Amino acid sequence: MDIYLLEAIINRILLGGVLALLALGLNLIFGVIDVVWIAYADIVMCGMYALYFLYAEYGVPLPVACLIAIIGVSILGVVVHLLIIAPVLNSPPLNQLLATGGLLFFLQSFATLLFGTDFRNIGVRLPILEFATMYISFARLIAFMVGLIGAVVLYLFLKRTYIGTAIRAIAQDRDIVGLMGVDQRRIYLVTSAIGGALAGLAACLLALQYDVHPFIGNTFGPVIFMICVLGGLGNMIGGFAASFIISQIIAIGGYYSNTEWSYVLAFTFFIVLMFIRPRGLFAR
Amino acid sequence: MKTSRRTLLKTSAAAAAAASFDWTRAMAQAETVRIGTIYDLSGPFAAGGSVASSVGAQIAIDLCNEKGGIGGKYKVSAVNADSQSKADVAINEVERLINQEKVDIIDGVYASAHAVPLAAKVEQQKKILWITTAVATAVFKDKNLQYVFRAQIHSDQYGQAFASFITEHAKGKLGMEPQAVKVALIHEDGPYGVGVAAADESYSKAAGLQVVLKEGYSASAPDLSALVTKIKRSGADVISHAGYNPDITLFLRQARESGLRFKMLFGAGAGYSQLDKLRATFGKDIDNFCNIDPVPAQLLDPAKLAPGVGDLIKIMVERYKAKTGANDVPPHCSMGFNQTWVLLNNVLPVAKDKYGGFDPEAIRKAALDVDIPPGGTIQGYGVKFYKPGTPLSGQNERSTPVVMQNAGEHISVVWPTNIRTQDPVFPLPKDSVYGA
Repeated sequence: MDIYLLEAIINRILLGGVLALLALGLNLIFGVIDVVWIAYADIVMCGMYALYFLYAEYGVPLPVACLIAIIGVSILGVVVHLLIIAPVLNSPPLNQLLATGGLLFFLQSFATLLFGTDFRNIGVRLPILEFATMYISFARLIAFMVGLIGAVVLYLFLKRTYIGTAIRAIAQDRDIVGLMGVDQRRIYLVTSAIGGALAGLAACLLALQYDVHPFIGNTFGPVIFMICVLGGLGNMIGGFAASFIISQIIAIGGYYSNTEWSYVLAFTFFIVLMFIRPRGLFAR
Repeated sequence: MKTSRRTLLKTSAAAAAAASFDWTRAMAQAETVRIGTIYDLSGPFAAGGSVASSVGAQIAIDLCNEKGGIGGKYKVSAVNADSQSKADVAINEVERLINQEKVDIIDGVYASAHAVPLAAKVEQQKKILWITTAVATAVFKDKNLQYVFRAQIHSDQYGQAFASFITEHAKGKLGMEPQAVKVALIHEDGPYGVGVAAADESYSKAAGLQVVLKEGYSASAPDLSALVTKIKRSGADVISHAGYNPDITLFLRQARESGLRFKMLFGAGAGYSQLDKLRATFGKDIDNFCNIDPVPAQLLDPAKLAPGVGDLIKIMVERYKAKTGANDVPPHCSMGFNQTWVLLNNVLPVAKDKYGGFDPEAIRKAALDVDIPPGGTIQGYGVKFYKPGTPLSGQNERSTPVVMQNAGEHISVVWPTNIRTQDPVFPLPKDSVYGA
């Protein structure tokens, strides 16, 4: 195989790991609470800012800064649920979409007001792995590995714990689970906290590779949303797989044609799939 | 009907108030010229030079007012708008400025993607669009615009500077014939990037350079690693990159991580002109990169400029630093200041004195009369607009870019050779992380 093609594919697999983590968080929230958090990528932006200030401005050690950022975004997830999602839980989907869309603009404007429009970098410079004239970014490799570990931990949590089982049960049938004595409100809060924590983890991983600015969410938001819909909204395994499928279409398409066409190809694939399988690639 | 004293007093007071209000309003209208300014004060373009341009424009307006206003008589009042790095917002805001704020002159516009639709819209309404920063040649090319003017350089000139620099130095600096030099042209896919890349390609081919790759991408793309890999595969010696800020940092980071090596990278202004921001992210890694753009005024030798222009530069630099707290004054500040200053000092006084007012027709005629020789503006170039009926009607025919090179926090002019302040470092030194 062409060594350059191989490099492009590996790089995209690594990016796919982070996208998969983001898709997991968004899908988890949609699957359980049945509300699409359009502002999910902007909540990631909040985590990136938290990490930047803790580590780069106040000198908190990186692992501690990451932990605080994850906990902080997790709490933000709960706050968002209580203040924005809970009041519109029984509203029509359009109202829910407008509420989370409003949150998106609020977070971007608030960040602009607080931090300005400058691009900020946490300044961590990781080494580069080189073998057989191929170069692999260590930052991406770490992001991929941690992303995968995060996904496995989430899977085990959902499969092996009581709360995880309750979360899955609510995702399958929220009315029946309520009748069986499960406190839906509590499960919603836990789900929002986990979704927030996943956004926080993704923020830590993305901050190693990207500058943080108030509009970084626009870079990832549309792609994550497309991935989630492609995999089937609420379907966590579907979203996980779809993130790698889309990543590879863009990588190979970009390699053989050009970067712009690779996105055209990915979105064409998405549209065609929506005609064939409107509920997503992995919908049952 | 009998009028009581109380009613009479009331009526008189109301009449006096109304009369005095109208008088005050009339005086205000007579003494103040309202100018709409539009820049991206939020969104990704804000930190890519748009805010710096808006600060430059505001300094020009403040300075004009401190000198008594236009022609020493008419104060300028700016009505500011934020286009939020979105073309649709830019169009709506200009619509608001024209129809609700009732301004006849729009000054500013950072992004070429906004300038193209705005030029058509403002032209249609026969108002004045005075572009300070956007560079795409496509804004004017074959449009025969009558009410849109730009003293700023245009994107074709980036290609000319790029190819001329390489042709001039290939043999002496690289030990290669120009025909052996491989160039890769990468660009964001808006009118700015497309315009610069098209000019790069055209002038490179005319100069006999080998264009081995030309590719666009979205400025908000989350990943450019495939593009970096393709540049590696192409074996390009020199890269020309027209981009904004988020995509430039992403490209340079992924280029480093992917082991991309080259002899030189030429930025085409925009994000590459925000040196302090790039330096904060990349430190010494970006030393000796070249950047093509209109010159930041403070780099010019005041002795070579018209009398008084050097003092103007000094004031602009001092005020920009005081307003922003920045150490580095980017070229975008000079662009915003320079173009706005020309409007306030060379166009509007003539419109009033010679053509009778500040209406679009008078301003248009006054703009076409402008004839500033080279050395007459803070950016060194002169100003004379192409006449209606010519392919670039409304564009300044005397604007010129320079090639700059940065080492540390110091920027040097390295091309055109006759005004350079330093011999160029070309190729990149071997100890550069990007050096081939």
